[in-house]
Order: sequence, then C-alpha cells, then structure tokens
Amino acid sequence: MSIIQVRDVTKVYLLGKTQVHALRGVSLTVDKGEFLSVAGPSGSGKTTLLNLIGCVDTPTTGLVEVGGLDTSKLTERALTDLRLHQIGFIFQSFNLVQVLSVFQNIEFPLLLQGGLTKAERAARVNGLLEATGIGEYGRHRPSELSGGQRQRVAVARALVTRPALVLADEPTANLDSQTGQNIIDLMRDMNRKDGTTFIFSTHDPKVMAHASAIIRIADGLVAVRELVGATA
Amino acid sequence: MRARLDATRVLLRIAFRNLVASRVRTVIIGLIVLVGALIVVVGSSMMESIDQGMRTSIQGSLGGQLQVYSSASEGQLELYGGIRGESLLEPIPDFARVKEVLGKVPNVKMIVPMGIDQALVATGNVFDVTLAKLREDVRQLQASPGDAEVRRGLEARKAHVQRLIALLAEELTQARVLVDPNGRDASLRKAQRADLDHAAVPAFWIEFDRDPLAGLEFLENKVTPLAMDSGFTFIRYVGTDVAAFMKAFELAEVAEGTAIPPGQRGILLGKQYAEEWLKLKNARRLDQIKDKRDRFHARIAKEEELQRWVKDTRSRAREILAQLDPLQAAEAERRLRPALEAPAGEELPALLARLFDLDDANFDRHYQVFYEQLAPMLRLYKISVGDVITIKAPGKTGAFNAVNVKVYGFIQYRGIEKSGIAGTTSVVDLQSFRDLYGYVTSDKAEELAKIRTQMGATQVSREEAEAALFGGEGPGRQVETTRAAAIDERQLLAGVGAKRKAAKAEETRAYTQEEIDHGVALNAAILLHDPGRIRESQAAVQAAADAAGLKLKVIDWEAASGMVGQFVLLLRGILIFAVIIFFGVALVIINNAMVMAALARVKEVGTMRAIGAQRRFVVGMLLVEIITVSVVFGLAGAALGGGVVAVIRATGGIPATSDLLFFLFSGPALLPRIGGTSVVASLVLVLGVAVASALYPAWIAMRVTPVEAMSTED
Ligand SMILES: Nc1ncnc2c1ncn2[C@@H]1O[C@H](COP(=O)(O)OP(=O)(O)O)[C@@H](O)[C@H]1O
Ligand SMILES: [Mg+2]
Repeated sequence: MSIIQVRDVTKVYLLGKTQVHALRGVSLTVDKGEFLSVAGPSGSGKTTLLNLIGCVDTPTTGLVEVGGLDTSKLTERALTDLRLHQIGFIFQSFNLVQVLSVFQNIEFPLLLQGGLTKAERAARVNGLLEATGIGEYGRHRPSELSGGQRQRVAVARALVTRPALVLADEPTANLDSQTGQNIIDLMRDMNRKDGTTFIFSTHDPKVMAHASAIIRIADGLVAVRELVGATA
Repeated sequence: MRARLDATRVLLRIAFRNLVASRVRTVIIGLIVLVGALIVVVGSSMMESIDQGMRTSIQGSLGGQLQVYSSASEGQLELYGGIRGESLLEPIPDFARVKEVLGKVPNVKMIVPMGIDQALVATGNVFDVTLAKLREDVRQLQASPGDAEVRRGLEARKAHVQRLIALLAEELTQARVLVDPNGRDASLRKAQRADLDHAAVPAFWIEFDRDPLAGLEFLENKVTPLAMDSGFTFIRYVGTDVAAFMKAFELAEVAEGTAIPPGQRGILLGKQYAEEWLKLKNARRLDQIKDKRDRFHARIAKEEELQRWVKDTRSRAREILAQLDPLQAAEAERRLRPALEAPAGEELPALLARLFDLDDANFDRHYQVFYEQLAPMLRLYKISVGDVITIKAPGKTGAFNAVNVKVYGFIQYRGIEKSGIAGTTSVVDLQSFRDLYGYVTSDKAEELAKIRTQMGATQVSREEAEAALFGGEGPGRQVETTRAAAIDERQLLAGVGAKRKAAKAEETRAYTQEEIDHGVALNAAILLHDPGRIRESQAAVQAAADAAGLKLKVIDWEAASGMVGQFVLLLRGILIFAVIIFFGVALVIINNAMVMAALARVKEVGTMRAIGAQRRFVVGMLLVEIITVSVVFGLAGAALGGGVVAVIRATGGIPATSDLLFFLFSGPALLPRIGGTSVVASLVLVLGVAVASALYPAWIAMRVTPVEAMSTED
C-alpha cells in the first residue's frame, strides 16, 4: 500500500531572472514500511524532493499525495496539521530549540498535538531517550551535547508522535562515519519494530547500503529505482 | 481544548526562556518601557492634580458644572475674560424664567445668575481721603464752634494736610529733575508748582482759618490733581444673587468682615485681588519677601528679586508718612524706637528707613515690628471693610454708570486661597450690576411704566426708554451718566464722598428674591447634584431650554473657563506631544530589537513550523515575549513613578517658582496625586506601544516558512 504518490512533479526556482529547474518531472511511489534512500550528487534535487513530500514546499506542476491526500488542495493550516500528525522531520543540522532541554525538545511535538497526559508523554519520551541511547541526557540543554547526541535527539523528536512517515535530509552529513552509522542503525531499528516509513537522502554509499530501496536522481530526474536485495 | 492548553504551556515556556536567554535585549526593551511608564505616571499625575486644582478653582469659585448664556450672543462666555477683554454677551432678559425652566431638570441643584464685568473703583488717594476728612472736620466745627475737642482734631488734620503738601512738593521737585523745564507742558507745570507753593505758605492757612470752605475748594481743585498716586483702580466683578452664590459655591468664605445681608446691595472684594492690588505696597512687599524666604528658602543676599523688593520698600516709606497725621506720627515714633532699638529722638523718616533696611538677619524681626507696631495705625488696603465705594462702568450705551456699594468684606475660597483663579473676582449684588450695566431692573421697570403713562404711549422702544431713564438724574438715584467717552478721573474721585448720603436709603434697602430673580443676567452657573453626570445633564439642560424656547447655549465649565481652560488644554497637549514623541522613539527602538530577534530566530521558527507549529503559535510566542516585558517593566515603571510622586509629595510638592506656575498649580506648590486611571492609562499605553512595535517582527515570524529550517547552512 502506498503512502506517497508523486506524479510528474516539476519544481522551478527563480534565482534572480534565471529559472532553475530543480526537478524536471519526477514520478515516484513509496509504500508503507519502506526504508528508502534518495541518492544523487549535490544539486541533483534531493532536498527539493523531500521538501515536496514533507509538505513544506509546493510543486510547480504535478501531484504530490501524502496518505492519499492531494497536498495542493490543503490549506496552510491543514498542511501544518499533516506535518504535525503524519510526518517526522530529521534535519541535517539537527535544528533543536536551544532554550528547551533534551527531554522538552522531544516532548515538543506531543505538546503541539496535545491529548496525552503528562505521564503518557513522559513514558514515550523516556522510551525514546533509552532507545536512542541518550537516557542520561534528558535534562541537558542541546548545547551541552555532541553532534551525534544532538542528532539522536532529533531522531527521537521525529519519532515521538509515531508518524507514518519520517523524512531525513542527509541526516549523517554532519557526523563522523561511525556516528552516522549508529544513527542509520537506529532508524533502521525503528523501521523494523514499528513499520515506520523512512525516506532519507544521502550521497554516502555506505549509508545507502542500509536502505531497502534506493532512488537515484540526477539533474532533477529519477534515473533508476533499485531494490537492495538483502533487505527487501 | 487540552491540545490548546499543552501548546500554550510550551509556548509560554519557550517565550519566557527566550527572554531570559537574551537578557541584554530584554533589559534594553524593558528599560525603555519602564522609563515610558514612569514618565506617563508622573506626568499624568501632575496633570491630574493641575486638572483637579483647576477643576476645584473654576467649579468652586465661579463656574459651577455648567454655564448657560444667550445663544444670540456675539461672543462666547469666558468666565475669566478673553484676550479682548470681557465676553460680549447678549443679556438673558428674565432670569426667573431660566431658573424656573432649568430648575426642573433632573440633577440640577442650583442656578446662580451672573453678570461679569470690569469696573473702575474710586479708591481715593491719601490726599483726597484726608481732604474729605478735613471737610468733615470743618463742618463739625461750624456746627459746634466752641468744642475744644473738635478744634484739636481740625488742627491735627490741618497739620496732616500741610505735611502732605510738603511731601508732594518734595516729590514734584524730584520729578522735575527728570523732565525738561522748557519742554511741552512746561507752562502748565509751572502753574501747578505755583499752586502748590501757594498752599504751602503760612499765609494760605491763616486765610484758611478765616474762610475754610474757600481754602478747601482751592485744595480740592488745584492741589489734589497733583497727587501722583492714582485714585482709582480696576476691579473685575461678578454681579450675582449673593445669597445663592455663597450657598452654591461652598468653598467661598468671607475672609474679613461679614457677609452681605440678604437682599442688600454690597460688595465682597476678592481677597487675592485685594492683596495684589489694594494692599499698601510696603506691606505687600514684606509679605512677598517673607513668602519667598519661608517657602523657597530664598535669601535677600542671594536673590536679585528680593533685593529689588527691599529697595522698593525703602523708597515707598513716604506712602506711610503720608498716611499719618502728626499725632499718629508721634505715636508711631514712640512705638518704633524701642522696637528697633533706635537712639532716642530719632524721627519717623529715619525710623522707617531703619525698619525697611532689611537683610536676612533682621527680616523676621522687622516684619513682626511692622505688623505689630505700625500696621494697626495704617490703612493697609486702599479700600477697607466698611467703606462705601463708588463703582463706575460703561453701560450698554457707552456712557458711564455708577453705583455706591458698601464693602462688606473680602471673599476667598477655602483650600484654594492662593489660586490665581479664585479670589481675584469680586462679588457684587445683582441689582448693582444691573444698574452699572444699564439693564432694566424692577425699580426701573416701575419708572419705565411711569414714563410710559406720562408720554401717553403704549409702546416705547427700548432705546427711547433708556434714553429717558438715563438722560436725567432723579433724586436719590445712583445712576448717573457722563457723556464723556474718556474716563474722567475727577468725576470718579468726586464720587467718593459726595454721593454717600444721598444713596444711603438705596444702599440699605433689602431686595426680595422676586426682585432679584426677575431681571437681567448675562449668564448663569448651574450646579449639579452629581457632577459626574455632567455630559448627560448638559444635554438635558439644553433640551429643556430649547423646549421652553429660551434660546440658551449650555456649555460645561471647561469651555466656560475660556483662555484659562485652553491653557490647561495646551499644557495637556504638550504633555501628550512629549509622550507621543517618546513613545514614537520607543516604538522604533523596540521594533528594531524585536525585528533583530525575529531574524535571529528564523531557523528556530522554521523548525517549529516544520514540526507542526501553526503560525499563530510562533506569532503568539513573540507577542507573549513583548507583552511580558512590557507588563513587568511597565508595572515596575508605574511603581517607580508612584514612588517619585510620593517623594515629591513628602518633600512638599513642586514649588511654584513663578506667577504662571502659581496660577497653574492653584497654589504655592503642586502636589501630584496618583490616579488609578493614570496608572491604568500608562500601562495600556505602554502595552499598546509595545504590541504595536512587535507587530512587524511578528509578521516576519509569521512569514517564516518551514523550508527555511531545511536549508543546510547553519
Ligand atoms: N530556494 C532555491 N532557490 C533557487 N534555487 C534553488 C533553491 N533550492 C535549490 N535550488 C537549486 O535547485 C537545484 C537542486 O537543489 P537541491 O534540491 O538542494 O539539491 P540537493 O539537495 O540534491 O543538493 C540546485 O541546482 C539548487 O541550486
Ligand atoms: Mg540537499
């Protein structure tokens, strides 16, 4: 069953007077439970594609469906709600709220959603703190953590609402390879346990190796979608 | 619901922590807000007490809450006069009708008829007054030629007049040094000098004893005009139903003397006015110096103004000398010598010079000596309680009307004795006002009826009637007419003594309420039961007047106060302008700081939006930040302002160091008072400005898209 439908999507940016064709007609289907890697050289359109799927940007032409909803028909507010309830984001540069503790950063989306008791929230947050291996850092501020630890917080924050889809734009780019490896392992774990769909972009072949499928894009076009046999 | 609550909680948490995290910015914005609140609280509480002072002064002394006057008037009612003098008001022909109609309007407590104008008062100079007494003495002696007591009195009086002539001669000699002896009017001055010299030689006084009346004639006609101090003064008065006036304006009290008996003619002189214009200059200067020394700790040695006053006092010693006849002068010497520790035999001029040789060391002692030893022998005010004075004013036709009224006392207003507004206007009975203005009183209505029957006419035009009335002077009448347009000083002075007897009967006649009410007034003050409902009552009074066809204009006390009210308005305008400027600058600074804050947090805001925070969340976050700062620092500023006000009050207020301030403060010092409204207003203002300055940054925050969180550069 598909969670994402992308059909004939183009994206044109205006850079001064010149048009930049970031995507030139991309079609793509992502099924629930996939652990999908978007691979391609720098400037190929990976971030643009993820932004469209994550409902933080709109395509110039074409259709983007998330969970069966045509995103072009949704209001700003509905799109925000969609992001809040269906999607988790892991940013390349972590993007944590500096004034909140690690615990509070992870709890943040739950508070935006509302509906859980304090105990329920604590249970979830603590579970993720343990799962991501930063159990003892709950009361720390992000600035007191290393890069890898911060990215773990970001992963936990993306997962805490139990979204159907997690998007990660080059989550390991700012990390050393060992830490990057650990983050990928962590994501893979979550994918296996809860069946969460992951889409992450990378240009690191070692990272790609963990994906269940790889979408290679170049110059704004999908070159090929290959299955990584071992994990299919 | 629950979702909202959780979101709000995290919003507040982030907002507060941001405030703490960016302390420097918070403190800068906070201090601006604090100073703003402080200025507004202190400024508005000063304004409030100025307002309050003005309100008390105006409402309590003349204004009431509302004023009515004829809507046919050319000018506007200005209770305290305008730039071009008194208001040009069309008379209200029958006040009784106004009283009847408006008295029925709910919330109206009292209606007081008024007519405000300026008039000339003959005060008589010392020379004039002394000559009048001399004439009285001469008459007494002629009535009982053998009376030794009367003869002694006359001799003392003669000696007094001779002294006055000597002083006058001295004055004239000094004055002559200043003028060119061959210039214009030189021959006139020579003639005057000759007259004075004529009266100074013993031969004149030998002749005087033979024919005193001829001698008096010469003195009155030839010598009195040479006396330089003016024999008249201007007063501003309100003609009114005095009993109603005293009842309506509860603060009014008779400072000296007694109230005017019900229904009778009479005048109560404004105490403030009397102090300033009628008091013997030496006494006035002493009062002023004392006031400056006591309240402002000014010192003669240091203040140029006080030195000037001391000099003035010294040079005016002659005015005191002139007041005392030889017997009194001797008594004064006897009293002053021990008090001033002067050598035996020192004479009065030297003693006075000694008394007024004031410095910081001797001032208080000499002040006391003046008031305890000398003042009881002096005529301290040009007009004293008990005098009958002649008031003259140009009537409607332009000719001068005059009335004699008894001075019953001085009027002042409790709590605002020193206000520049209250107590400068004298209070005169309504009948006298009507006579002065030439309006038809009930007395004249009778006369008018008589004329009408005499003329056999059924219709007499107003002009004709007035011409008939004012053309000739009936026996016992007080109203006289001079066709001269200019003020004839001699004639004014002549009024002092001559008319007293004749007018006696009218002076003491009591008028009924009917007579007082039925007649002309220029305006009327309306006092309300509940002054808080002034707007509502203004409309109701206007409606009632219109319904009865009264053709009245109803204005509130502030409008009626004319220039005075406008001045306060101007002052408030300046304060508001200053506040606006300050907050304008504050707005820009706060706005800039907040814009920078918003820009610095674009990535954070973008992240929140990507994670699922709605726009209102991030806007709310910014507003909470700025509102928190504003409220906390605004309250602190207001509290500090309250402290400043308390300190000002505790130290006796802001002293009124100039006449203008004295007037503004309605007294010697401004005691600002914190009004609840001023605090609330300042907080609302501060908050409004803060929120306004946060709007643009909030808009920036709102427009931050989640994409901006995705961009890789940090
Ligand atoms: N906001 C933008 N404005 C203009 N050009 C953009 C913008 N974002 C991306 N691009 C251009 O679009 C192309 C694809 O960019 P991107 O999706 O970021 O590639 P990748 O993430 O694979 O490096 C690039 O040529 C990039 O310069
Ligand atoms: Mg990219």
